[in-house]
Amino acid sequence: MFNYYLKLAFNSFKRNPILTGLMIAAIALGIGASMTTITVNYLMSGDPIPEKSSQLFHVQVDSWDPNTGFNDEPNTPPNQLTWTEATNLMAAKKDFRQTAMAKSGAIIQPDNPDINPFEASIRLAFSDFFPMFSVPFQYGNGWDQKADEDRQMVVVLSKETNDKVFGGENSVGKNIVIFGKSFRVIGVLDAWQPLPKFYDVNNGAFDDPEALFMPFYLKQELELPNWGNTNCWKSPEGEGFQAFLQSECINFQMWVELETEQDKQTYLTFLNNYVNDQKELGRFPRPLNNRLLNVMQWMHDQEVVADDAQIMMWLSFMFLVVCLLNTIGLQLAKFSAKSAEIGLRRAVGATKQDLFLQYTVETGAVGLAGGAMGLLLALLGLVGIRHLYGDELNDLATLDSTMIATALLLSLFASVCAGLYPTWRACNIAPASQLKSQ
Amino acid sequence: MLTMTDIKKVYRTDSIETHALRDFNLQVNEGDFVAVTGPSGSGKTTFLNIAGLLETFEEGRFELDGVDISHQNDASRSRLRNQKIGFIFQSFNLIPDLNLFDNVDVPLRYRGFNRQERKKRIENSLEMVGLAKRMKHLPAQLSGGQQQRVAIARALAGEPRFLLADEPTGNLDSNMAQSVMSLLKDINANGTTIIMVTHDAGLATQATRNIHVRDGKVSEMNESLSAKVDMPNAVATDNGPAVALVK
Repeated sequence: MFNYYLKLAFNSFKRNPILTGLMIAAIALGIGASMTTITVNYLMSGDPIPEKSSQLFHVQVDSWDPNTGFNDEPNTPPNQLTWTEATNLMAAKKDFRQTAMAKSGAIIQPDNPDINPFEASIRLAFSDFFPMFSVPFQYGNGWDQKADEDRQMVVVLSKETNDKVFGGENSVGKNIVIFGKSFRVIGVLDAWQPLPKFYDVNNGAFDDPEALFMPFYLKQELELPNWGNTNCWKSPEGEGFQAFLQSECINFQMWVELETEQDKQTYLTFLNNYVNDQKELGRFPRPLNNRLLNVMQWMHDQEVVADDAQIMMWLSFMFLVVCLLNTIGLQLAKFSAKSAEIGLRRAVGATKQDLFLQYTVETGAVGLAGGAMGLLLALLGLVGIRHLYGDELNDLATLDSTMIATALLLSLFASVCAGLYPTWRACNIAPASQLKSQ
Repeated sequence: MLTMTDIKKVYRTDSIETHALRDFNLQVNEGDFVAVTGPSGSGKTTFLNIAGLLETFEEGRFELDGVDISHQNDASRSRLRNQKIGFIFQSFNLIPDLNLFDNVDVPLRYRGFNRQERKKRIENSLEMVGLAKRMKHLPAQLSGGQQQRVAIARALAGEPRFLLADEPTGNLDSNMAQSVMSLLKDINANGTTIIMVTHDAGLATQATRNIHVRDGKVSEMNESLSAKVDMPNAVATDNGPAVALVK
């Protein structure tokens, strides 16, 4: 009977093309608006590294102002570390994998005279960065622990940088001039775009990964500039780069990979002991407040999904409800025009259940058509968002297969729900009253 | 075969009760061709709707083919309608966007027949009414008489035991009406019991039984072909149904 009902649904579309078109348009508008905002929220709040997001922990220690908590919140530790903590905690090597990191930038001077020098962002990190975050390589590998310790002048290029400087060739073993120094390329990343960029949400949660990756201690060695957010609760004691590194200013992030809950508790105890030791040295004036948050907890804590994005999503849901209310009205009008046919079908033996299924299939078909059109509108909406917010949301404003399936299921569900009352009314039409009224 | 005993049917609104049928008694036997006449508002159509299981009733007993209808739920009544009853209406009630084949197919779909069985029955019934060659036409492409023949084919395709016709010739000219009447007589001759509501005295005389309904009751029964029936001009002087104000 399903095929029969489907055939009747298409006949009904042909009989009432304007009414059907209006219903499809109403659902499409609601779905288009909803899917645009759902997609942005979905990509903003997605798990960027699902295979190990529960094992990667962002490290926070409360080294802030004794009088005022970080961001004026009394119980919130700072979202970054000082150079002192980053290097001390790394030196302790207490866990399975760990990396402190910082964002910087420098000018690249390609050998090829046809390519102008250009500024590139740098991620300063430890060798564990690559295996910890499952970073894919196109050529070569990351550096090793010895390169960390020896502050070797090695670099890993992003795929885009390698394409730009070396034309996409295997550049491993070649040299590249960065910050006026010659670096040896030891690896080239494959396409890698974690969304959100969880490992450093403080400095653009939806930015592209950096163009270059190099050993962390080169920050000190080359006095590379600070990129990204830097916050200080008191001024550095003295002038210059070294004074900054020895200050209470925060500009560094740190992640550890802990496989079990016990590992996590052990590491937290280590952090607390470390802070207590520092207190004895006159630092860490605030009460003990150290945290380990995993990837999803960290993104939630940092409110990666912006409030206005969530408000937009709820507003779009309300708009969908308004569209569905319109659809209900149109559906009532459509079924009212069919009352003679409904009476006839009841007279010749259709049960209420038969009619309910028939009209639910028809409503569902309208919903799917609306959903398909809504997807096109959502694509337009996402283009609009790209124009509105610029490059920052380029990677968020795309529909993947999950979102396409969600759109179709949502429109099917919404239209069937909207059709329940009109369908119920249609099924309860007294047949006798309709058969003589034609 | 169809027995109604002391059937009472009341239509209610907020302030008015209308007694459409009261103490309605009738027995129809297998093979009968019953013409039901009576003035407008006398209860003819209400009787036909109850006989066709399209409406329920307040009191009395109704047996159809040995089944006590008063205890059947809506789904059971739908099944009985589908299996035992065919309907013919004054305004044909064909579905305009379905061709003749698909219109005749409607009751068979709910019967659960397979595709081959349905096709055979549709072709046979359209053949019987002389429209087998036009089965891909839409109803709008046919004359009124032809449309009523399609409605008859639809009613017959399920091989019902009862054919209920409500003014089947009311929208047709006299030639077409006679043609449809001849067809109904042929169907009755083949064993199908027919109950036909009509205002046309001439057509009523062609049935094997006549009953006259007045004020919701069977007022006269006549088994002869020369039964007394209401003439069309008598309708205007009729007092209509019994109406009582509800306190």
